[in-house]
Amino acid sequence: MTDDEARWIARARAGESAAFRHLADANAAALFRVCARITGDRATAEDAVQEAFFNAFRHLGDFDGRSAFSTWLYRIAVNAALMQVRKRPHLEVAWPKRDDGDDTTLLDAADESPTPDRHAVSAEIRRDVEAELARMTPIERTAFVLRHQEGRSLEEISAALSLNVGAAKQAIFRAVRKLRATLEAPGEPA
Amino acid sequence: MNPITDDDLVLYLYRDGLDAARIAQITAALAASGALRERYAAIEHAVAHFGQDEIAPEPDLGARLWQRLEPQLEEAGVFVSPPPARVGASVPGRSVVDRLRAWLAPPPLRLAFAAAAVLVVAIGTGFIVGRNSATVSPPVASTEADGSAARVLEAYVAANLRATEGVLLTGSNSRDASLLEGNRELAQSLLESNRLYALAAARAGNTRLADFLRQLEPVLLSLANQPGMAAVQSSEDLRRFLDATDLLFQVRATEARLARNGERRT
Repeated sequence: MTDDEARWIARARAGESAAFRHLADANAAALFRVCARITGDRATAEDAVQEAFFNAFRHLGDFDGRSAFSTWLYRIAVNAALMQVRKRPHLEVAWPKRDDGDDTTLLDAADESPTPDRHAVSAEIRRDVEAELARMTPIERTAFVLRHQEGRSLEEISAALSLNVGAAKQAIFRAVRKLRATLEAPGEPA
Repeated sequence: MNPITDDDLVLYLYRDGLDAARIAQITAALAASGALRERYAAIEHAVAHFGQDEIAPEPDLGARLWQRLEPQLEEAGVFVSPPPARVGASVPGRSVVDRLRAWLAPPPLRLAFAAAAVLVVAIGTGFIVGRNSATVSPPVASTEADGSAARVLEAYVAANLRATEGVLLTGSNSRDASLLEGNRELAQSLLESNRLYALAAARAGNTRLADFLRQLEPVLLSLANQPGMAAVQSSEDLRRFLDATDLLFQVRATEARLARNGERRT
């Protein structure tokens, strides 16, 4: 934590609204990105960030300075996003779903390259991967997002999700299995 | 060697959750086995397409969030100082000085003055009686009385500090003669109450608070005598002084600490 950040935090602790605004502005974009990755929905991600800031600022006295302020906020935001997903079951269908009538396997589609349709095929694969992501449980999805996209370590993921490291690993393994199941045709070797 | 599972390959992909020896084993096995390389490639392929369509934050995200967050925080009583947008809000039918007084002066300031005087007398009397009397008060009752006196003192000092913060801000930022005139009057009244609170804090054994309040005295004294005609030079001097000593920050921090103490005791 920099001296400058420590000073803003101290001013916020003293109840200065401008200091809260400064801390919110400095961290909003990063928190939004992780919340959007977890929820897959812009409006819900914003709600999660707002909730995270509200909770963090109300309990600013609990921040002990042992971790970076951004790390502390990050954990609160991850949990807020997770709560939003749990609160809103409709988010399970917010990601585009696979068209079950399409019997072309994704690996087949990917192997057609190079063709003029390559970009369209890639987009289709991404849509299907994201559809599979929607079928994961909120914990699986969050753990996978934190590991794969955010580059967080298993230790950090387990701390953010209040799991032990073994449980965080298992959540990621299940997430990867679900993604593989989407991409591999029935009976086709892995 | 333990068989290499797909879960091991997932951990290997992220180089996380495996010790160095296991990573070396898997690296060697991948180099030696085509079948293992295929399994690993399938895992890489499965995750490779994920997360390419990023939802980017909009440019006005911060402003939009704050617009929603500010009233929530205000309602929850998180702010001690008023939000900047509201400080300059005009109140029809009231003079500038009246508005300044309404913002700066804590409602019970006169009451605080009286309370501080009562507190000083009470603590002083207790001190004298305690020295001259052989009677020992029950420890519980004594602790309760001490706690109650400390709570009262801290509540009033916190209110006084809030007003002091406003006087410092106005004195260092304003060039308006009528505002500065009102500010001088307020600084004078705060100076008097500040002396009493410093005395009460010292008698109560809170030397840290007493010392801090004594530090404020010369600043309040100069604000009480801030010349109206030389406002600009005077304001700049004060601003430089506040920047150099970080006094505003200390006032806010002490005010917040006293408020928190009060909350904990109630």
